[in-house]
Amino acid sequence: MMPRGGGHSNSSRPPFAGQKMAAHGVAAAPTRAASPTSPLLIAEVPPALDRSGGIRSRRNGPAAACPSVSVVFPGTVSRESCCRFACEFLKHILHQRHQLPLPYEQLVYFCRRPTQDGDVIKKPPSMDLASKKCQQVLTELEGVLRHLEVMFSLTLVPRVLILLGGNVMSPKELYELNLEGICEGSAEESLKTGSCVRKLFHSLFVADVFSELKALPVMGTVVMLQGHRDCGVDWFRPKLNYKVPTRGRKLTVNLSCNGDINISASPLQRMTSTWEDYVWFQAPVTLKGFHE
Amino acid sequence: MDEAAGDLKQALPNVCDNIPIHVEVHQKSSSAARKEDIRMSVLKLLNRHNIVFGDYKWTEFDDGFLNSNVQSVSIVDTELKLKDRQPIDLSKSSLSLHIFHLNEEGPSAENLEEENEDIIAASHWVLPAAEFHGLWESLIYDTEVKSHLLDYVTTTLLFSDKNVDGNLISWNRVVLLHGPPGTGKTSLCKALAQKLTIRLSYRYRYGQLIEINSHSLFSKWFSESGKLVTKMFQKIQELIDDKDALVFVLIDEVESLTAARSAFKAGTEPSDAIRVVNAVLTQIDQIKRYPNVVILTTSNITEKIDMAFVDRADIKQYIGPPSTAAIFRIYLSCLEELMKCQIIYPRQQLLTLRELEMIGFVENNVSRLSLVLKEISRRSEGLSGRVLRKLPFLAHALYIQSPSVTMTMFLQALSLAVDKQFEERKKLADRV
Repeated sequence: MMPRGGGHSNSSRPPFAGQKMAAHGVAAAPTRAASPTSPLLIAEVPPALDRSGGIRSRRNGPAAACPSVSVVFPGTVSRESCCRFACEFLKHILHQRHQLPLPYEQLVYFCRRPTQDGDVIKKPPSMDLASKKCQQVLTELEGVLRHLEVMFSLTLVPRVLILLGGNVMSPKELYELNLEGICEGSAEESLKTGSCVRKLFHSLFVADVFSELKALPVMGTVVMLQGHRDCGVDWFRPKLNYKVPTRGRKLTVNLSCNGDINISASPLQRMTSTWEDYVWFQAPVTLKGFHE
Repeated sequence: MDEAAGDLKQALPNVCDNIPIHVEVHQKSSSAARKEDIRMSVLKLLNRHNIVFGDYKWTEFDDGFLNSNVQSVSIVDTELKLKDRQPIDLSKSSLSLHIFHLNEEGPSAENLEEENEDIIAASHWVLPAAEFHGLWESLIYDTEVKSHLLDYVTTTLLFSDKNVDGNLISWNRVVLLHGPPGTGKTSLCKALAQKLTIRLSYRYRYGQLIEINSHSLFSKWFSESGKLVTKMFQKIQELIDDKDALVFVLIDEVESLTAARSAFKAGTEPSDAIRVVNAVLTQIDQIKRYPNVVILTTSNITEKIDMAFVDRADIKQYIGPPSTAAIFRIYLSCLEELMKCQIIYPRQQLLTLRELEMIGFVENNVSRLSLVLKEISRRSEGLSGRVLRKLPFLAHALYIQSPSVTMTMFLQALSLAVDKQFEERKKLADRV
C-alpha cells in the first residue's frame, strides 16, 4: 500500500517561507489554506489552542529547524480518511525514523505469518527475542491504531502529534498532522480515501523530509491528539495542561481542502467558536521501537 | 491554670483565622472537565463542611460531578503553619485551590551523544508524577524543614516577580540538604519538586525534574568531563527556555561533582576533576538568572564539598535521624497503612503522641497499645528513616507470616524486629 521512497529528487523542495505563512492562515481561519493570509490573523488564534509555542519556535528558530509540508485536497474529505491519514502517517514515521526495521505492512506479514500458516520454522534464540519484541510492538501499535479509529469516530480531531524520544513535554522529534484546514464531508460526496493518502505521501516524498536525518536509536513513541473535551473517549488520557513543545526537531504536515466546496459542509469552520473545548489527549502506551 | 487556658481556647476556637489554607484537588486521569467547573464544585463542598481539624482528605463525594471527575480533595500542610491541631474555619481563611492531573508515565532517559556512544546522563520526569504522589506526606521531620523549603521558594518567586536586582541582592536557587544516609534527603527533593509544581500550577503549566547521574558525567577521555557537564547543562537550558515549565535539577551525592578543590593540592585528585567542579560552578551561575529553575542537591559528606559550591547554596539544611516523636509518627503511618490493607485486623484506634500527652500518659484500655508503640519508638532511636520504614515489613516477614494479625501481635513482632536491627548493627560494628 505504502509507496516506498527511493528515487525522488532533492531539488523539488517547497518554498518554506510561503508555506509557513499559509500554516498560520490555516490556524486562524481554516477555509482556504492556499490563499495568502495576513499575519495579523495570528493574534486572533484562540489562546486555548496553545499556538504560542508553535509560533515562537517558528520565529526564533532557523527556518530549517521546523520544516512544514502542505497538502491541499481538491474537495471535501471524510472523517474516515482523516483517520487513515493519521494511521498511515504514524506507520510511515515509525519506519522512516528507524523504530521499525520494515514498513508496518511487511512486518505484519513476516511476523504474523507463522501463526497463520501453522508452519513452525526453527529459529536461533536471538531471533526469538527479536520476534518477541516485534510481536509486542505490533500488538501495541495495533492497539493504538484501533483506538485512533474509535477516537476519530467520537470526535473531530483538529491535530495529531507523534512524539519520538524524550518525554511528551520535550521530545527529540515531533511530527504534527494538522487537520484544521480540512473541510469535512460525508463519505459519498468526499474524495476517495486511497487517492488522498497517495497525495499525502507524494507530497511527503517530494518535500524529501526524511532523507537528511541521521539514524535514530531505539526509543519511545507517544501519540497525542486533540479532541472534544466531552467526546467520552476512555482509552486516551486528557492532558489539559499540555502545550505543544518547542524543543526538538519538528515537522508539520498541514492538510487542507480547496476547490468546489460548499462552505456549510465544513464543520471545522463552524467549530471555531468553541475551540477551547478541544483539549489534548495522550495515548496511554509508549510504543517502544526495535531493531533487528 | 490549665483549666483557664482551656476555657480561653474554647472561647476563641479560631485563633488564626486568616492563615492561607491549601486545598489540593486531584483530578481523575480520565477526566477532561474544566478547571473552573471543578473549582466551583469543590468550593461548594468546602462550604458545606467549613470546619476542619487539621489536614483532611475527601475521597467520596455526594456530588455526582465530583465523584466522576475528582479522585480526592485534600486540605494539606496545615500542621506546617499551625502547631496544634485546632479547628479551622474554612469560610474565614483564604483558600487556594490547586487542581492537578498526575502524569502516569515513568522517567525518561536524557542522553548525551558522545561521538558514537550514548551516555544516559539524567532521568527526567514530567511533574506532577504519579510516582511521587503521597511522598511529601510520608516524610516526617521534627524541625520545620518542609515549611522552610516551601517558604524559601515562595520568597524566590516573589523576588523574581518584583524584579529585585540580582546584583544587589543575590540568591542562587540552590538548596543543599545534607545529613546521614537514609534520612530522606533525595525523597524530600523529589517531594518538594512535586509539591511546588502543584502549588505553582497557576503560573507554570507543568514541572520537569531532572535527576543527574553524577558518575556518568566523567568521561573516559582525559579533559572531556568538563565538556560533558557543559553539555548536560545545555540540555537543561533548553528546558528552562520554556517559560511555562518549572524546572528542578536534582544532583544527588553532589560531592562527586563538586569535590573540594583544596584536595587537589595534595595531588590525590586528577586535574580533570577540577575542570568538572569549575564547569559545574560556572554553569550554576549561568542558570541562576532564570526565574523558573531550582537546583536541589544532597550530600552525605559535607566537608568534602568545595567551599565555592557551599557558598552558592542559599539553604544548607541539615537533615538528621528522626527523634522519638518523629519515629512514633512514622510507625503510626505504617500501622495505619497496614490496617487499611487489613494485614492488621481488626482495626484499632491508636492515639497520637499529643493525645497521649493530654491524658498524661495514663495507661487505660484506649492508650495501652499506643504506649507500647511509644516504648518501641523510644528504643528505635538512632535508626534512620529508611530503616524505620522497612521494619514493619521485616517484622511481618520474620515473626508473623500470616495474612492477618492483631495489633498486639504485630507490635510484639515490631519490637523483636527493632532488637534484631540493633543486634545486626552491633555484629557489623564488631567485625570491622
